[in-house]
Amino acid sequence: MDLHFSEADHEFRARARTWLKAHVPTDSRPAHGEASARFDRDWQRKLYEHGWAGVAWPKEYGGLGLSGLQQVIWYEELARAQAPHHINTTYVAMMHAGPTLITRGTEEQKAFHLPRILSGEALWCQGFSEPNAGSDLASLKTRGVVDGDVVVVTGSKMWTTDAQHADYQELLVRTDPQSERHKGLTWLICDMRLPGIDIKPIRTMMQDEHVNSVFYDEVRIPLSNVVGEVGGGWSTALATLSFERGLGFIGDQLELYERVNRVIDLAEQVEFEDGRRAIEDSAISQRLAAIKADAIAIRAMTLADIAETDRTGMPGPKGSMMKLLVTQTHKALSEVVGEILDWDFLEFNGDRSNNPWIYEYLWSWIFSISGGTSEIQREITADRVLGLPRAR
Amino acid sequence: MYLAPEGDELEIVNAASDFLVGTTPISRLHEAGCADLAPSAREAFGEMGWFALAVPEEQGGSGLSAVEHTLFFREAGRQCAPVDLLAQCLLANADLDSGLREDVIAGTAGAALLVPSGASWRLLGSSEARWALLVERTGGAVYSMDAIALQERPALDPTNSLHVAESLPQPMHVFEGPTVWQLGQLAVAAMLVGIAETALDLIVEYAKVRETFGRKIGSYQAVRHPCADMAVRTEAARSQLWYAATAAKEERADAQVHLDAAKHLANLAAMSNSDTSIQLHGGIGVTDEHDCHLLLKHAMTLSRLFGGKRDLLGRLLKAQVAD
Repeated sequence: MDLHFSEADHEFRARARTWLKAHVPTDSRPAHGEASARFDRDWQRKLYEHGWAGVAWPKEYGGLGLSGLQQVIWYEELARAQAPHHINTTYVAMMHAGPTLITRGTEEQKAFHLPRILSGEALWCQGFSEPNAGSDLASLKTRGVVDGDVVVVTGSKMWTTDAQHADYQELLVRTDPQSERHKGLTWLICDMRLPGIDIKPIRTMMQDEHVNSVFYDEVRIPLSNVVGEVGGGWSTALATLSFERGLGFIGDQLELYERVNRVIDLAEQVEFEDGRRAIEDSAISQRLAAIKADAIAIRAMTLADIAETDRTGMPGPKGSMMKLLVTQTHKALSEVVGEILDWDFLEFNGDRSNNPWIYEYLWSWIFSISGGTSEIQREITADRVLGLPRAR
Repeated sequence: MYLAPEGDELEIVNAASDFLVGTTPISRLHEAGCADLAPSAREAFGEMGWFALAVPEEQGGSGLSAVEHTLFFREAGRQCAPVDLLAQCLLANADLDSGLREDVIAGTAGAALLVPSGASWRLLGSSEARWALLVERTGGAVYSMDAIALQERPALDPTNSLHVAESLPQPMHVFEGPTVWQLGQLAVAAMLVGIAETALDLIVEYAKVRETFGRKIGSYQAVRHPCADMAVRTEAARSQLWYAATAAKEERADAQVHLDAAKHLANLAAMSNSDTSIQLHGGIGVTDEHDCHLLLKHAMTLSRLFGGKRDLLGRLLKAQVAD
């Protein structure tokens, strides 16, 4: 065991820190609409033009070709610089569509899409879940009929974050109507401007419209947009999900420590009616310290996992355990903030910047449900880490 | 950067596990008179050099580091090894005159551990030992057991006998510096991680064979999900333990913060895993013949040593870690 960062790692960190200090946008991200997507594209383009996009992507596909560990350093520096959060409209493109194409795409698909993803020109969304296929993804029903050199798609997807901004979609459909469960599925690149696609926003408890229902009425997608094999979509989808569970939340994992410290600062400032500051309340200070210890351990877990992944080449099942712990810790922190702010916690006009603390609290359910609910993460842990017998 | 045992470290893990299973298996705690480390066992540990993994070679040790020390004590935790083992090892690492150190490393003179308790002190380990060791964050003191008036107390945790001392005499030796405290904190955190792992292993193995309503209990989400939560707590505590041990080995400026965090997470993981393991076992879990309660009771002892909840959280609130 060792904790040594190499000279190259230190040099990378110093360069990242200096660059971020000079280039992190000073204006805050618009909360909604086309303006928010434009903000994300602009930031991604800036990263691309200055050579910071795709830190751990292979060089041959336009990335920096650095190690997973240097990717950790990059996210730590992003958090330190309070740079735009990486879970934005570029997230699906950068965190799973790109990595999926790199490992499973054809050379033509890679050549066309990867530069557009890296530069922020193309935004992606994910078309996996359906009204009757969420946690039980393999029961999905959206149909794809192969007709010559196109796949004709009919059906609907749900919970599609940022569909209204996306240029492309990772679309999982059933191409074999006789098939059941994991067989007979196909992973398609769907151009969101094709005729027959209808997007309807779903308003969430956060009073925003980031997630959508997407309807497909005989949408004709070229067969050349299949990633992996026709009928082999489950295997491609598992690759996509492993990226999401392995590295997708790495930014949140590392940012948690900075976030706890900001809440401790808040507790130093807020005064209760009896004149004591919030930090002097032992129930509050103990919980904050315990969350800080968790944040420190989450960083150690992340480093242990990334170092292991750098050796083996593929993310392992620990990502599910990480997501469980990070989402729980995130919510626990918001609950303490609620006690510190008391009535002020309850003022909210639907705009994140109006009350970022309550926004984080409401978001904690999105965090623990999207990308595999906590219950599904426990199932994966029970199966793949503990080897417990299955009921299904 | 690598944060899991590798290479020679794995050999230490295997050798320690074999030796501890042979010398102080957890099954011993079901027999009468099982408390403390018997002199013959102590000498066997000494002969193999287990007390002095982290002691420099020129002082008669193996010249290894805090990491190997931690790996050894994680295996000790899995067997609920007695606290005497810890006291002996920490005394071997204290700044002593060489004659005394030789006896301690060889296990020919025994040590027990003193801990502050209100206005008095508690002694964990055999009162037949020659030395009593008191460790604080900034140093420590060694007392001759002959000079301490001890009253025996009944002990919940069968691993060790328990005594109270109302006062302490002049110490025979004093030493300064944080090293012994840090090794103590690592060892106890490691033992707690070993307990957390064992509590999880026990229920996972049982859940694979025990059937109710015609199904293995491990197929019920009411059992699977608490097991998954135990795995998460264990993984977090173990990762932080590896980080802290390596930070201590590399003498990092923020090592103490990582040690405090590691001890806190280990306290939580061992207590909550042994609790949940008993519950998920059902009736068999509360019987004396099962190991579950031994893990819980030893975790209750260890979570009070080298940093309890209030102390650790009070320090962590304002502490800062480096990159």
